[in-house]
Amino acid sequence: MLRESMQISGKQVQVRGVTQGFDEGVDIPHAGALVELAEAVVARDAPRAAAARAALRAALGDAGLVDAAAVAAAFHGFVRIADAIGIPYTGAAGGRDVPELREEAGINAFYRMIGT
Amino acid sequence: MKESAIALRADLTEAHERAWAAIAAPGTWLTGERRVAVAAEIRHAQRCAHCAGIKAALSPNAAQGEHAGLGVLSSAEVELIHRVVCDPGRLSEAWSKSVLARGLSEGEYVEIVGIVAMVMMMDRFALALGLPERPLPAPQAGAPTRYRPPGGKKKAAWLPLVEPEDAVEADGPMYPSPKAGYIYRGLSLVPQSLRDYWALAVTHYLPGQFVYRFESSIRAITRPQMELIAARVSALHQCVY
Repeated sequence: MLRESMQISGKQVQVRGVTQGFDEGVDIPHAGALVELAEAVVARDAPRAAAARAALRAALGDAGLVDAAAVAAAFHGFVRIADAIGIPYTGAAGGRDVPELREEAGINAFYRMIGT
Repeated sequence: MKESAIALRADLTEAHERAWAAIAAPGTWLTGERRVAVAAEIRHAQRCAHCAGIKAALSPNAAQGEHAGLGVLSSAEVELIHRVVCDPGRLSEAWSKSVLARGLSEGEYVEIVGIVAMVMMMDRFALALGLPERPLPAPQAGAPTRYRPPGGKKKAAWLPLVEPEDAVEADGPMYPSPKAGYIYRGLSLVPQSLRDYWALAVTHYLPGQFVYRFESSIRAITRPQMELIAARVSALHQCVY
């Protein structure tokens, strides 16, 4: 979905960054602060979240910050449904998640992929 | 310096209100009291030393010990909640079967997963915005409906799903489209849980009709910004979906 949304904008993204972290060159405004908020929320790191929140609020305003927080939180739900119910991953993202992309992103090294 | 109050979207605030009310109400297989106990256990699991040990272990099966539960729910329910909360990326079909073999029905399993997904979403939203966790609601009295969709079949996933073509009127509305993806079907063995979950999830992420419209955004951040966050959160959970 990330790659697709970038391609529509005429941009490219190194999908490896999904698993290994994105470098400064990623062509998405405020990518560093967005990723920082996402990682802080996963880690339940309140001080780190506060710092990311301040940066995003200054850059995007309340509405942008709220939507960033909402998306980060949403994927705490989606991943748990997918992983606890064991839904098939083939055909994910409307069929856009092809095997080559999973390899490139480093997803094939995940526990569930190794075990299958 | 103290942060000033952050202006929230009204639809998000309303969705959270409805979601907490739904959690407190009698469900399909669980009473309101048990559903609120599940919510309490979800929060408690994040302080469980055994879960931290599982998470740190090279294999989730290598860690020895017992979950530090609140003492209200069964051991099968506690195992389900703690593992789904703390280490969801390393669950397996064998593990899900072992939880069911400990006396949990498929309907109870799916209903609990739905509550986990909702509470995690709302609590992590609060964390992201520096807001306090909402106190748990008072449970509502009443009996569970005990409705099992006749079209539920175990085929593609570890638990039975109701494929769009197998849904019947008695299930109530479930799918926005006959092409709804597997993530949408995940909770379909308990249609009310599916409805409760997605009523909340679409306000956080996107309503179904916008998911594949990459060229524009209905949110205050761009679509690549949204997907950057989504991808990183999913990867940190080792979610392959």
